[in-house]
Amino acid sequence: MNPIVELKHVGKVYVSARDGEAIEALANIDFTIRRGEFLTVVGPSGCGKSTLLSLIAGFNAPTSGDVLFQGHPITAPGPERGVMFQDYALFPWRTVAGNIEFGPQARGVDAAHTRERVRKLIEMVGLRGFEHRYPHELSGGMRQRCALARMLANDPTMWLMDEPLAAVDLQTRIILQDELLRMWGDGIGTAGDRPTVVFVTHGIDEAVLLADRVLVLGRRPGRIKEVVDVALPRPRTALRNGPEVARLTAQVWELIHDEAVQAINEEAPL
Amino acid sequence: MSGSEVGRGARVLLPLAVALVLCAVWEVAVRMTHSHGLLPSPTGVVESGAILTSSGVIVEAMSGSLKRVLIGFAIGGALGIPTGLAIGTVPALDRAFRPVLDGLRSIAPIAWIPMAILWLGVRGDAALFVVAYAAVFPFIVNASLAARLVDRRLVAAARALGAGPWTVVRTVLLPGSIPMLFTGARIALAFAWASIIAAELAIGIKIAGQGRSVAGIGQLMVETLYVRRDVDALVFYMLVIGAVSFLIDAGLRRLQRWMLPWSDR
Repeated sequence: MNPIVELKHVGKVYVSARDGEAIEALANIDFTIRRGEFLTVVGPSGCGKSTLLSLIAGFNAPTSGDVLFQGHPITAPGPERGVMFQDYALFPWRTVAGNIEFGPQARGVDAAHTRERVRKLIEMVGLRGFEHRYPHELSGGMRQRCALARMLANDPTMWLMDEPLAAVDLQTRIILQDELLRMWGDGIGTAGDRPTVVFVTHGIDEAVLLADRVLVLGRRPGRIKEVVDVALPRPRTALRNGPEVARLTAQVWELIHDEAVQAINEEAPL
Repeated sequence: MSGSEVGRGARVLLPLAVALVLCAVWEVAVRMTHSHGLLPSPTGVVESGAILTSSGVIVEAMSGSLKRVLIGFAIGGALGIPTGLAIGTVPALDRAFRPVLDGLRSIAPIAWIPMAILWLGVRGDAALFVVAYAAVFPFIVNASLAARLVDRRLVAAARALGAGPWTVVRTVLLPGSIPMLFTGARIALAFAWASIIAAELAIGIKIAGQGRSVAGIGQLMVETLYVRRDVDALVFYMLVIGAVSFLIDAGLRRLQRWMLPWSDR
């Protein structure tokens, strides 16, 4: 097993900007992410899924413990760790092509090379003919594809994805799941050839369908509850409605259920 | 289809008819009371307007004022935009400078006129100072707000894509601030116009007293009031001032739409 990210006794405490109260988002996370795996992260709301992702992205530093990328502590974001945000965070003043070329431009890649790369990516994510549209002129699914292409333009070794399919309708989501798997290299080559994915979602069926392993987090504070191996063959698309996926989904849901109910009750308005 | 035709006609023709009727009533009232000269009349305004336009007086005065407004506006922007962006980005600067800026902002620009005349004389530099003072605060307020309201996720996205601090400023904070900078610019220009007229009126009295030549629309108004006593011309100036303000604002809105095709508005 070849580790790419190591989380060593990681804890994260936030101080609330409003009332100065300390909130323990993550406690004693001890976990290793394997190179080339598709890891999904699920848990009830308030379990620190997004916090975990932002620690690996390098937006935040842990309060305690270490987060290592290829053996070195993560101190800042880096283009080798691509991020896809929940609402895509596309630059509204840049066109589709302008968004996709942002990474290579920011890193100083030469213009001709960038142009060719952007053209290929636009082709790959099916946005040809929409190069010069602005994000507000695109559908949810097209924005999602644009955000994916923007992340891929840097050829990151890791894809850090924070509920990337939460904002699209169910049919679009199914289509995009298949596309995502295809681009990741589902069922092709070996783990060493593929990028490492950390995919945060609250769709448990989605988590099971996509993943090699499902990291199940508990809440208050966020901690590892269980790691569920999804030892199903790839490519996965054919298994979408199969009994194995349904069985594992039920198993993961069982792990989350009680705390998810608790989360809803606690978040009820006073 | 015919409904919308009628609707469009009513939208344009009805207000126009109301305005014409009001003008006619005004004209008749002035003629019947034989008070033209003390009161302006619509035909008098048109006549005076024609004379002032053909002689070039109004154009010269307006371009004098407009030049000062634009220079003052540019000075206000050059000082206000960087200041606003800086205090909107760095919280420590905001804490340090905001009370002073809020204090200065509370002083009406025209309250500076006597001081400006004392320092800069009556030539036009005093009016320019007042205009720049009026314009700088809308720029500061809106630029600081703009910098603060730029979506932090976009900053995070840029950093994750490999952008360093200066690239983030150039590619995220600046473009993200532009829509609100436009809002600031429109307010600044409106303030600048309002104060140029006040400043020129105040300065113009002194000039008129010394029998010097006029330089802006405000000075022209003072001269018209005290020397020529032409009430029709005064109304004509007011109409021109209103029209120029409207055109400037419409032009800025157009520029905004043209420069910012990505915003929904």
